[in-house]
Amino acid sequence: MDAITVNHLNRVFKSTDGIIKRKVKEVVAVEDVSFEIRQGELFGLLGPNGAGKTTSVKMLTTLLIPTGGTATIMGLDVVKDAAKVRPRIGFIFGGERGLYWRLSGLDNLRYFASLYYVDEKVAKKRIPELLEMVGLKGREREKVEGYSRGMRQRLHIARALLHDPEVLFLDEPTMGLDPVGARELRTTVKNMQSANKTILLTTHYMFEADALCQRIAVINKGKIVALDTPEKLKENVQDLTVVEIELYGISQDRIARIKALDFVVDVSVEDRDQRQVLHVHTPKGPEAIPVLVENLNGLRLGRIITREPTLEDAYVRLVGGTEN
Amino acid sequence: MLLAFEIELRQNMTDGFVLFGILIQPLIVAFMALWMLKGKGPDYAIFVVVGSGMTGLWTTLLFNGGNSITGERWTGTLEPLVASPASLRVVIYGKVLANVLQSLLSMIGSYLLISLIFGYPLTLSRPWLFFISLFVSVVSLVSFGLILASFFILIPDFARMVNTLEFPVYILGGFLFPIALLPGWTTPLSYILTPYWAAVALHGAAQGTLGTWQIVGTWGIMLAFSVVYVLASGRLYRVILRKARTDATLDIVGS
Ligand SMILES: Nc1ncnc2c1ncn2[C@@H]1O[C@H](COP(=O)(O)OP(=O)(O)OP(=O)(O)O)[C@@H](O)[C@H]1O
Ligand SMILES: [Mg+2]
Repeated sequence: MDAITVNHLNRVFKSTDGIIKRKVKEVVAVEDVSFEIRQGELFGLLGPNGAGKTTSVKMLTTLLIPTGGTATIMGLDVVKDAAKVRPRIGFIFGGERGLYWRLSGLDNLRYFASLYYVDEKVAKKRIPELLEMVGLKGREREKVEGYSRGMRQRLHIARALLHDPEVLFLDEPTMGLDPVGARELRTTVKNMQSANKTILLTTHYMFEADALCQRIAVINKGKIVALDTPEKLKENVQDLTVVEIELYGISQDRIARIKALDFVVDVSVEDRDQRQVLHVHTPKGPEAIPVLVENLNGLRLGRIITREPTLEDAYVRLVGGTEN
Repeated sequence: MLLAFEIELRQNMTDGFVLFGILIQPLIVAFMALWMLKGKGPDYAIFVVVGSGMTGLWTTLLFNGGNSITGERWTGTLEPLVASPASLRVVIYGKVLANVLQSLLSMIGSYLLISLIFGYPLTLSRPWLFFISLFVSVVSLVSFGLILASFFILIPDFARMVNTLEFPVYILGGFLFPIALLPGWTTPLSYILTPYWAAVALHGAAQGTLGTWQIVGTWGIMLAFSVVYVLASGRLYRVILRKARTDATLDIVGS
C-alpha cells in the first residue's frame, strides 16, 4: 500500500494589499501536484526557494486545507479524516521555531508527549532514548533558549518521534546547520528510515537528496517538473558535458549571449568569493572551449575544466536557474 | 490540560513582562485603592477591593489568555499544537485557567499584604459564600475566556481590537459601580455577560447585601453560562480551526 498519495493538489494563497483599493493578489503556491510514496520509502521533494515545498508539506500535515485536489496518508484523507491522520504523522519544519524557548528541552518533550497522548510510562522510557539518539543527553534540563541551532533542530526531531509515527515529514531538516551537524542529522534520518518509517524530506540541497532519497520529485514554481530515482535523473544529462569556467565579473547579457550559442544546452552561474564559475552544459565536450572563450573575450578568466554532469546539474537544468 | 496549565505557569514565571503584570501591578493597585480608602467605611473598602480585583481578572482574561495564543503563533508552536491529536480547546482551557488563577492569587496576596501593612482590616461578611462564589466565578470566566481565545486564533491582530473591549465590560459588568446607574437599555447586555454575575455574587457575598439563595442563584446562572460556553466552543473551535487552515493564519508567514 502507498503510505502517501497526492492527487492533483492545488493551493492558492490570497492576500489583500492596499487599504483603500483592496486589491486581491493571488499566489499559486502548489499547482496540480501528484505523486505516491510507498511505505518505508524515503522520498525527496527538491526545489528552489518558494517552489511550494513547505506549502505541500503543510497540506499533508493537516495544517492547510488544499484549494483543490486530495491527498491521503495511510489511506486517510488529510482533510476529511484530519483527526485520524494527526496521531500517525510526525513533522518538523526546518529552523528554530516551534519550540518553547523558555522551557527546558525535557519539558518541551514532556509537554508534546502529553499532547500526543503518549502513555506516561511509555514517555518516561522513550524520552531518554530519543534524547540519547539525537545527542542531547545531559543537556535536557537546560532551557531551549540556551541551545545552539543544531541542538534545537535535533530537539525538533526528538519531538516529532515522541509518538512513534508511521509517517514523517521533514521540511528542510538541515537548514542552518554546519556541515558536521548536517551530516549527523542525515545519519539520523537514514536510521529512521531503517526503522521502517515512511519519510518525506524536502531540501534544496541536491547532494542531500541524492545521498538519502530513493526517489526525488523536483518541484519548481508549484509544479512537479521531474520525478524519478537519483540515477534516472542523472541520466537526463548523461549525454552532456559540463564546462566550468572561472571568471571575474560577468554581465547578464554576456550570459544570455552564451546561452544563445547553438551547442549550449544550459548555463548556470555560481558565485565563489569574488569569482564566478560559469557552468555550461553542452554535448560538444572540450571542443566547445575555444568558442566559449572567444565569446568571453575581454574578461579575466581563471581555470577551465570539463567534467561529467552530476545530479546537481540535472537539477539546475530542471529548475532552469542562473541563480546558483 | 493539567500539563498545559503547568507549562503556561512556568512560561509566565520566566517572562519578565508578564511577571511584572502578575506580581507588581496588583501590589500598586492594591496600595492605591487602600490608600484612597483610608477613613472610609469598611463596607465601601471591600466593595472597591472586590471591584478592582474583578477588573484585574477581566484584563487578565482578555490579555494574557489571548496574548499567549498570539505568542504561540509567533514562536511557531501554534501549528504543532493544532496538528497534535490533543483538543485545542482543552489546552487553551488550561492556559486561561493558569493565567486567571495566577492573577487571582497574586491579587488576593497583594490586598492581604497591603492591608496588613496599613493595619486596615478587610472583612468579608460571608467568607464561605464568598469563596465558593469566587470558585464559580473563575469557572465561568475561564469558560468565557475559551470563547474569547478562539478569536485570537482566527484573527491574528485581534489583540488590537481587544483594547476596545476592556472598559465597556468594566462598566457593564458593574465591577466598580452598580449598573443601576447606567441607562436602562444596557441592562440586558449586562445580563448576558458572566462577568456581571460574578461581580454580583462577589460583591453580595463580601458585603452581605444579598441573601444566601440569591447568591446561590447567581452560581446557577454562571454555571449555566459556563456549560453553554463550553458546549458552544466545541462547534466554534471546529469552525474557527477550519477557517484558520483555509486562510493560513496559524503561522505568521505571509501575514
Ligand atoms: N501564508 C501565505 N500567504 C501567502 N503566500 C504564501 C503563504 N505561504 C507561502 N506563500 C507563497 O507560496 C509560495 C510557495 O512557498 P513555500 O513556502 O511553499 O515555498 P518553499 O518551497 O517551502 O520555499 P523555501 O525553500 O524558501 O522554504 C511562495 O511564493 C510564497 O510566497
Ligand atoms: Mg519552505
